[in-house]
Amino acid sequence: MKILIADDSRVMRQIVIRTLRQAGFDGHDLVEAADGRQAHDAIVAEKPDLVVSDWNMPEMTGIQVLDAVRAAGNTVPFGFVTSECTPEMQNAAEAAGALFFIIKPFTPERFKEALSTVLG
Amino acid sequence: MSENTPTIDDLREIADQVWSAYLDPEGVRPFELGEPKQPATAVSASVSLTGAWHGHVVVTCSSEAARHAAAAFLAMGTEEVGDEDITDVMGELANIVGGNVKSMLPPATLVSLPHVVNGASNRFPTTRQICELAGTWLDEPFSISMWQGRDAGVVAA
Repeated sequence: MKILIADDSRVMRQIVIRTLRQAGFDGHDLVEAADGRQAHDAIVAEKPDLVVSDWNMPEMTGIQVLDAVRAAGNTVPFGFVTSECTPEMQNAAEAAGALFFIIKPFTPERFKEALSTVLG
Repeated sequence: MSENTPTIDDLREIADQVWSAYLDPEGVRPFELGEPKQPATAVSASVSLTGAWHGHVVVTCSSEAARHAAAAFLAMGTEEVGDEDITDVMGELANIVGGNVKSMLPPATLVSLPHVVNGASNRFPTTRQICELAGTWLDEPFSISMWQGRDAGVVAA
């Protein structure tokens, strides 16, 4: 499977990649995006099977990316990994069709729980 | 002070999560609470909170502690850690703590991008410290503090 990891923090992208591995999700094709616009363009160009996205990013926020791809008819499984978590954000994510909402800091166990339905 | 202003207990809870997830996943290098101590050479990372609540979340530690934090976050040896690694990791630490703190504040509060000062402490004029979680990590000074704007809501002339 191809997984797109979108986060403006290089450190957090590395941690997400490491945590995927620690959670047992090895051997996937990983693509990175450093802002929301890059994430949007990579979803269109790379056609990932899963998107793991930060919420607050330059150019486009994660929820704007999700809204834009859904508006274009793309149903790629999409979830958030974010340090901010308010009921409003969770409601917006759910309404937009997000698959999961992981709060930083996170553990491999949390990744396993949230992603096993997509990655098996 | 509003009821939902974060307290030292809230900072402790966030710090516990950060340590168990990234800085001390094996539970052998805990953050030890103690008296606030100014490190000889400091790295200070902060995010600003604006909108419904005005202030800053600041993570300050010694250069040595910052190097160990970068090594832990990036799964590398301390001898491999570069200045950019330290800046990025300290910024991410402030971002994680600030994002969690934001969840306790009024809904219309925004978190800024992180700001990192290497070699000195951050200073925030017209603010007051509302809580600080201070102590040591690996025998090095480490603190997480919150500063609230004294003039919040007052428009400057």
